[in-house]
Amino acid sequence: MICQNCNKNEANMHMKRIINGRAAEVHLCSDCARSLGYGEAFSGFGLGLGELFGELLGKSDGSAVTGAQCPGCGKLFDEIVSDGKMGCAECYGVFYDKLLPSLRRIHGKATYIGSKPVKNGEISDGERVEQLKKQLSAAIEEQNFELAAQIRDEIIAISTMGGDA
Amino acid sequence: MCAKWYLGTGAQNDVVINTSIHLARNIRTYPFPARLSLPEKLKVNAVIKNAADTMDEYSFNHYEMKTLSQSEVVSLAERHLVSPEFASSRDGRALLLTEDEAVSIMLNEEDHIRLQVMYAGFALDDAYRTARSIDRELSGKLDFAFDDKLGYLTQDPTALGTGMKASVVLHLPALVSTSQITKLITTVSKLGLSLRGSYGEGAAAKGDMFRLSNTITLGISEKAAIENLKSIALQIAAQERTAREELFKAPVTEDRIYRAYGVLKYARLIDTNEFMELMSLVRLGAVKGIINMDCAQIEALMIHMQPATISLSVDRPLDRIERDKLRAMMVRRALKD
Repeated sequence: MICQNCNKNEANMHMKRIINGRAAEVHLCSDCARSLGYGEAFSGFGLGLGELFGELLGKSDGSAVTGAQCPGCGKLFDEIVSDGKMGCAECYGVFYDKLLPSLRRIHGKATYIGSKPVKNGEISDGERVEQLKKQLSAAIEEQNFELAAQIRDEIIAISTMGGDA
Repeated sequence: MCAKWYLGTGAQNDVVINTSIHLARNIRTYPFPARLSLPEKLKVNAVIKNAADTMDEYSFNHYEMKTLSQSEVVSLAERHLVSPEFASSRDGRALLLTEDEAVSIMLNEEDHIRLQVMYAGFALDDAYRTARSIDRELSGKLDFAFDDKLGYLTQDPTALGTGMKASVVLHLPALVSTSQITKLITTVSKLGLSLRGSYGEGAAAKGDMFRLSNTITLGISEKAAIENLKSIALQIAAQERTAREELFKAPVTEDRIYRAYGVLKYARLIDTNEFMELMSLVRLGAVKGIINMDCAQIEALMIHMQPATISLSVDRPLDRIERDKLRAMMVRRALKD
């Protein structure tokens, strides 16, 4: 099938879309699909370098790792190199040393900074803010303004950014 | 004026079209989606859905992708609520969607959870706050794959860390017309951001629409990444406004805008490139108050007039001329007084 846009290349992207309640098919070559912005909103998550990452991995360590396998999901390291996809969370632990140089190369750093998951039983933002407000009143009552300022900053941080610096 | 029309609100919408936050999350105890069997995927969907259903503040409609008609699926992709990839392969995938469609959660796309919050205009803090509050609620109920050194673990190692992609779509006709855009693209890439055509790539972006996103997800907190994106977006918007001021000093700009409007209003054949180029000028004029048209209508037209989409409004393949004719007809109809 020929691309509907350029009418030259072989169409290798096939999509169905709906206009005014009627569905119809679109057939585009990859160049036209890209230039028309199909999938643009979702592509390039992270650096969008999934496949390149595999390439990087392969090059980052010339030593033979053939046969290394994740006990969690059974994925071979070689497979990660070839498709650039991790098999499961455990893969990261198992292949950590192999991954690190490539992660550094991609992100510049390989140390995480950012939000953390909430553990079961931990209180919600709303409850935390309520708690802090009480502490703030108490601190002001005691004229401990340094502490009050700290508490105020924490309340602001939670209410503006969901609590993570 | 333009601003009050675009979905009710929309800060900075002379330049900023919309804002979105994407978060990628996985459940520790299950392999990533590519390694899940169909029954396992269904199990993961059920586990996440149950967790989402316990949220007080948000209520989600739940769709098993497999049970939706083709038309429904495609309609979701059209509204940017799921990725085209997600719509193309539907087995074992599900969607959680709020009534206002501002929050969508794709289940078993590249990761178990792909959360998207999308707001009109410039609303990074609001969008992140919403995304994070949902993320926190879910993380209290689901054991997310998380490592103290690497952050949130994702199927694609280049997304790990915060697993966050924040984006703003910007309309930059003046920076394009004064040839400042290429330099800008290079500059932002050095700042851990990417600036890409929202329709078409790089400096050849159609309609002068560009998506500015963070690219680094490891070694920088969400807050810092958003502040960074925010400050660069505002600087770009300010540069765009300055460039517009300059542009409007030349009488030829207003003339070009009116000519663009005239062509769109009366043309009998119009191709995508010409349409996008002219519509960009019309949007510039609408924001300036020269053209009486609202931005939401312009944005919707830009999506609907793409060549493939045009072909879809009739149930048979169209050749180029037929398509251009149909496009011109639909644009004329939209611009009717």
